[in-house]
Amino acid sequence: MAKSKPVVNDQLSYKKPSFWQLLVQNKTLILMCTPAIIFFFVFSYMPMPGAYIAFTNFQYNKGIFNSPFIGLQNFKFLFMSGQLTLLLKNTVLYNIAFILIGNLLQLMFAILLNEVASKWFKKTTQSMMFLPYFISDVLVSLLVYNLLNYDYGFISNLVRNMGSEMAKVYQMPNAWPIIIVLVNLWKGTGYGTVVYFAAITGMDTSMMEAAQIDGANGFQRIRYITLPTLKPTVVILFLFAVGGILKGNFGLFYNLVGNNSMLFKTTDIIETYVYRSMMNSFNFAQSSAVGLFQSVVGFFIVIGANAFAKKLDPDYALF
Amino acid sequence: MKKLVALLMAMLMVLGCVPALAEVDTSEHVVITYLVTGDIPANRTDEVLAKINEKLTEKVNAELAVHWIEWTDWTTKYNLALATQSGEIDLIGTATDWLNAWPNIQKGAFLPLSEEMLQTYAPQTWANVPAENWELCSYNGEIYLIPEDEYAQWTNHGFLYRGDWAKEAGLENGVHSWADLAVYFQYIKDNKEGVIPWDANGNGSSYAPQMAGGWQTSHTPNVYIEGIGVDLFYGESKDAPYTLSNYYIEGDELVNFATEMKKWADAGYWRTDVLNYTGDVVAEMEEGLTGAHQHHTQTWTGQRTSLEKKQPGADVGFFWFGEEMGNVVGLNITHGAMAVAMTSPNPERALMVYDLLRNDPEIYRLMQYGIEGEMYSLDENGYIVRPEGFNDSTDGVSLNWWWGRRDELELRSADRDWEAIDALYAKYEEVKINYPYGRVVFDLSNIQMYLDNLSNVYNTYMPRIVFGMVDDPAAFVAEFRQQLKAAGIDICMQEIQNQINAAYGL
Repeated sequence: MAKSKPVVNDQLSYKKPSFWQLLVQNKTLILMCTPAIIFFFVFSYMPMPGAYIAFTNFQYNKGIFNSPFIGLQNFKFLFMSGQLTLLLKNTVLYNIAFILIGNLLQLMFAILLNEVASKWFKKTTQSMMFLPYFISDVLVSLLVYNLLNYDYGFISNLVRNMGSEMAKVYQMPNAWPIIIVLVNLWKGTGYGTVVYFAAITGMDTSMMEAAQIDGANGFQRIRYITLPTLKPTVVILFLFAVGGILKGNFGLFYNLVGNNSMLFKTTDIIETYVYRSMMNSFNFAQSSAVGLFQSVVGFFIVIGANAFAKKLDPDYALF
Repeated sequence: MKKLVALLMAMLMVLGCVPALAEVDTSEHVVITYLVTGDIPANRTDEVLAKINEKLTEKVNAELAVHWIEWTDWTTKYNLALATQSGEIDLIGTATDWLNAWPNIQKGAFLPLSEEMLQTYAPQTWANVPAENWELCSYNGEIYLIPEDEYAQWTNHGFLYRGDWAKEAGLENGVHSWADLAVYFQYIKDNKEGVIPWDANGNGSSYAPQMAGGWQTSHTPNVYIEGIGVDLFYGESKDAPYTLSNYYIEGDELVNFATEMKKWADAGYWRTDVLNYTGDVVAEMEEGLTGAHQHHTQTWTGQRTSLEKKQPGADVGFFWFGEEMGNVVGLNITHGAMAVAMTSPNPERALMVYDLLRNDPEIYRLMQYGIEGEMYSLDENGYIVRPEGFNDSTDGVSLNWWWGRRDELELRSADRDWEAIDALYAKYEEVKINYPYGRVVFDLSNIQMYLDNLSNVYNTYMPRIVFGMVDDPAAFVAEFRQQLKAAGIDICMQEIQNQINAAYGL
C-alpha cells in the first residue's frame, strides 16, 4: 500500500508534453512521414475548397469561385433518375464482397505463404500472384471475353466438345456478380497479400519460438499468435476500405460490361451510370457533385465504423 | 513631344486607316501553341514543323508548337484543357458537332474575335469567308469560330461492302438499300464459310446513334439536329426542318427497325456477344473474314484502294444511309473550326499564324503533305504520289489540320479511285441540303439534367435495339419510349422547339 502511493503521485505530476516537445522527441519519425504528409496535403487537402464547383454553374473564364452559385441543382439529376436505389445497392454490395472476401483471401494467403519453408517457392508464388494487379482492365476484359463468349470462347468450345450446350453468359445478368468478384479477387489478392505478409514478417519472433517450445502445433500458432497479432492491421485496412464503399471501380466494370445493357440490372454502378448520362455533356460541375456525394457519404460511414471499432477496443480505432 | 507624336499617330490612323492597320508590330518573337486532338506522331512531323517555323518566323516572327490531346480519354482531356487554360494555349481546334464548340463558347473558353481583329490579323481568311458564314460562327453577336468552309467533305455514314460478293449474291448494281444489305448478308452467311457477314464491334458508344440514325434517315425524311448530346432530336424533313420529328415518341418506323434488326441477329449476321466484342473490323475485312464495315464516306474513299491490295477484286462499294430517300445533309461548315483561347497571351499573332497556315500555299503543303521531293511528288495530273515504301505513320507528317482546309490548296492522292469517288460525290451534291440549323445555338442549361437522364435511357436501350438483342421488339420499343417519357423527353422537345422558333423567328 505504502509503496503504491508515490506511483500515483508520479502519475499525477506527469505533465502532458507540449506539441513542440512531442515534435522534437519524434523528429526522426516525423521526418520520415513528411513526404506522405506533403503528398496528402497537396493532392488531397489543397484541392478540397474546389469541391465548391459542385454547387456552381461552372464558367471557364470566371473560375470556380466566381462562377454563379446554383445550390443543389447539380445533384438533382442523380436523384431524379429513379435509379439511385439500384445503383447504390449494386455499388455497395460489390464493395462489401470485394472487401470481405478480398481481405479474407489475402489474410489466408499471407499466412500460408509464411508457413512455407522454401524461399524459392515463396518468392515465385508471390510474384505470380502479384502479376495480375498490373494487367489493365482493358486486357482483362479481353481475356474474359475470349474465355466466355458464346460463339468462339475457349470455355464454350470446351463445353461444346464435351457434347453439351454453352450458356449465353453475356446475356445472363446473374452470372456477372460472380464473374466480377472473381476477376477482382484475381487482380487484387496478390497485392493485398503483401500488406499482411509484411505485418506477419514484422511480428516478434520470440513469441513464435516460445510457442514452439511450449509445443504448439502449426494451427495453434496461427490461431493464438498470428491471427491476434494481425487483428489491428485487419481493422485498419477495413476502416480504410469502408470509406470508399460508395465508389466503384469504373475501369473494371465498364470494360467487362460495356454497353451491354442486358447485364445492367446486376452490374450498373454509380460510375458507369454517370458515364452513360454525361458522356456527351462533359459537365465538370455535375460530375463533381456525384463525387462529392460519394465522398461525404463515405466520410460518415468511416466515422461510424471508427466509432464501432472504438467500442470494440479503443486501440483499434483510427482516431 | 510624346503627346504630339501620339496625336500625329492618331491622326495618321484615322486618315490612312488601312495602311495603319496593316502595319502590325511583330518585333517580338512568340510561340503560338495549337491544341489539337490526336496521338503524338512518331513520324517526321517535328522535322516538317521546323521547316514551317522557319517560314512563320520569316513572315510573322512567330513559331508554332503543338499541344496534343491524345485519343485515350480525349473528350475529358480536351475539355479539361480548355477549362484549365492559363495562357499556355493560343489556337484551339474545335467543332460544333463533335467537339462541343457552342457549350465551350457559353462557358467562356474562347476569345470573341472582333471584325477589326480578323480584318487586321487574318486578312486573307476574312476575305475568303462570306459574311453569312461568319454569322453562323457567332454567338450573341460576336464571332468565336473560324469555319472550315472552303473544303468539301462527306462524313455521312453507311456500309462499306464487297462489290464482288454483292454481284455473286445477285445484286448486280451493288447494295443500295437496307433490303439489299440483308440479301448480301444472307448470301455471305449461306455461302462463305467462316465469314461473319458483319463482325460489328458493338462495344463502343458510337454504333447505336450511327445505326439508329442510319435507319431513320433511310426510312423517313427526318433531318438530324446536332449539338444536343443525345441523338433523339430530328427535324421533320427538309421542307419542314423547324418542326421536330416525333420519331422517338410514336410511330411504327422505330418498331420496324427493332424487328428487322432482331431478324438479322437471329440470322447470325453478327456474333452473339456483339455488344461486348471489340475487334478490328477493317483488319478482318482485309483478311476476308467479314463482309462489311459501318463507317463514313471518307473511310470508304481510302478503303476502296487499300482493300483492293489485300483482297484483289473486292471492288469495295458504299451504301450510304439515306440513299433510299435521297436524304443527306451537307456537312456543317463548323464540323471543323479554329478558335482562339480565352487566355491566349498573343491572340493577334495567333490569328496571323492561322491566316498563313490556312492560306499560304507553301506552308499549307508542308503541313498537309510534308517536304516535296522527299516525302511526295506530283504526277502529270497534279496528283500526289508517295515514294516507294512510304508509310504515313513513320515517314509522313501529322498536324491534324482539320480546322481550315481548302479545296483550292488540297492535293488529290494519285492512288485513289477518283472516278468512283467523284461519281458518289456528284450523287450527293444532287440530293443534299445544307445543314439547316446553323443559326441555332442551343442553350441547354435549363434541360441539361433531363438530357443527362435521356442519355442514360438512350444508351441503355438503343444498343440492344440496334443489335437485335431483344425478345419482343415491339414491347421493347414501347418500354424504351415509356422510359424516355419518364426521363423528360417532352420537356426537352418543347424547349428545343422554342429555341429553334426563336432563332428562325417562327
